[in-house]
Amino acid sequence: MSESCLTFMMGEYRAEFPTDRRYARNHMWALSLEGGSTRFGFTAYAVRLLQDVYFLDWEVAEGDLLAEKQEIGQIESQKAEASLYSPQAGTLDRINQVLLKDPSAINVDKYGEGWLFEMSGDASALLSAEMYLEHLEAVWEVTQRTIKGQMNR
Amino acid sequence: MPHRLTVVISQSRSQNPKKRQLEEQVVAGLLGERGIDVTVVPHLYDLKPDGSGMLCLSGISGDLVVCSWLYPRAARWILDRNQIRGQEGKTLLKSLGETDDDDEADEEAIDDLAEDKPRVADQRELPARRIYCLDLRAYDDASAFREEIVRIATELATPTIELNGWINGNPKPEQMERYLAAETAAPEPRQATVIEEEGGRRWYPVIDLSRCTNCLECIDFCLFGVYGIDARETILVEQPDNCRQGCPACSRVCPENAIIFPQHKTPTIAGSADVAGTLKIDLSQLFGAPDPGAPGAEKAMEVAARERDEQLLLAGRDAVGMQVGMPKRHESELSGSVAKDQLDELIDSLDELDF
Repeated sequence: MSESCLTFMMGEYRAEFPTDRRYARNHMWALSLEGGSTRFGFTAYAVRLLQDVYFLDWEVAEGDLLAEKQEIGQIESQKAEASLYSPQAGTLDRINQVLLKDPSAINVDKYGEGWLFEMSGDASALLSAEMYLEHLEAVWEVTQRTIKGQMNR
Repeated sequence: MPHRLTVVISQSRSQNPKKRQLEEQVVAGLLGERGIDVTVVPHLYDLKPDGSGMLCLSGISGDLVVCSWLYPRAARWILDRNQIRGQEGKTLLKSLGETDDDDEADEEAIDDLAEDKPRVADQRELPARRIYCLDLRAYDDASAFREEIVRIATELATPTIELNGWINGNPKPEQMERYLAAETAAPEPRQATVIEEEGGRRWYPVIDLSRCTNCLECIDFCLFGVYGIDARETILVEQPDNCRQGCPACSRVCPENAIIFPQHKTPTIAGSADVAGTLKIDLSQLFGAPDPGAPGAEKAMEVAARERDEQLLLAGRDAVGMQVGMPKRHESELSGSVAKDQLDELIDSLDELDF
């Protein structure tokens, strides 16, 4: 990637966050598109925790009106499974259909071809890369505890 | 005719290479095994009632082992809904999340269920053939499944062998030779029958009729016309594809826990007999899930009403909250935590009057 990035160390791993876009607190990047829609995808932080993604399923359809934090889908990866939630309120404009058959682009090109969906709506609560990094500083400890706690079950 | 057993491998929806590999290893381990036919179908839950997968399964009249990425209860009742029925075969394998400790808990759960309420399944007669459902998620090693299937095949074939001994006492050597020759004459199939079926992922409720009491709470609750009743006034998933993708709300209002959504992440909703956790880490909170332990976390009925409202809004309809079709037994829960309507206020004010 030619544009500038901020980095966050997850242990030994350097997670990179391009500054050409904004970020949602639930670990999705957000890129404004022409026409007012915003494209969302997983950040390096989320992908690092998930590792290889095997399966992605949406419970919502293009055109649906979503509430913020509404459950919208499920993901299964090498290390984890999780429900997914809408990063903001608004209309779901487009879903990346390619990922439904083969979700590997999420790992190969998370900031490009691995995008998840596009939605329009109020994007004012999104964070800058700097603010997202502060958010990560604050949640990294908790995330580590969550993962370790579950692994020791 | 020597006994034949059909083993069905229902494929995973996911591209997980480990899952694909396990499926292939189970198939490979069974090819050439005496008396066993192998059929591969897409994910059982996604098969359409009139699609090639279900038609193929309907055509099998003998004993059946079904290996799927589902809880055995879910697999069994999906088959049942498609008129693929038989006596429940008892497997020695565990399902996902089951441990040895669970046996006691299971027995307790069964005791609870054994209350003398009549169940829908009580009135039904099933064909004599056996259906065994194995959970492919429970073991990483294909040999566990192969050994169990061979054990089942032996168990099912045993009466034939006993009969043979009973006819003649000790067979003469030439009789034995003829018998063995007949067994080996027909070459065993060296490949599996693979059924393909196009079609998307489906989402609909599956009713466990051994738990269902036909109380019909689910018909009252669901506002999308999924449920109906059959000619004998018994509950029926009449329009499965009217069901809203991802919404498990009716299973939360079912008093008997009889409604299964096989793809739901919560084991009890997905057809588990217990509440053991999943094997993978749950990162849902990372992506915005509410903390289930937080003060004010929702109760099951509130979750059901909220999930239903979300679907009503998505469908362009009005939310109804807890005003419509909620089970009567939850009225006390209802008045405690939900915004009160005028009627509640009226009743409250009556209560305050000291007669």
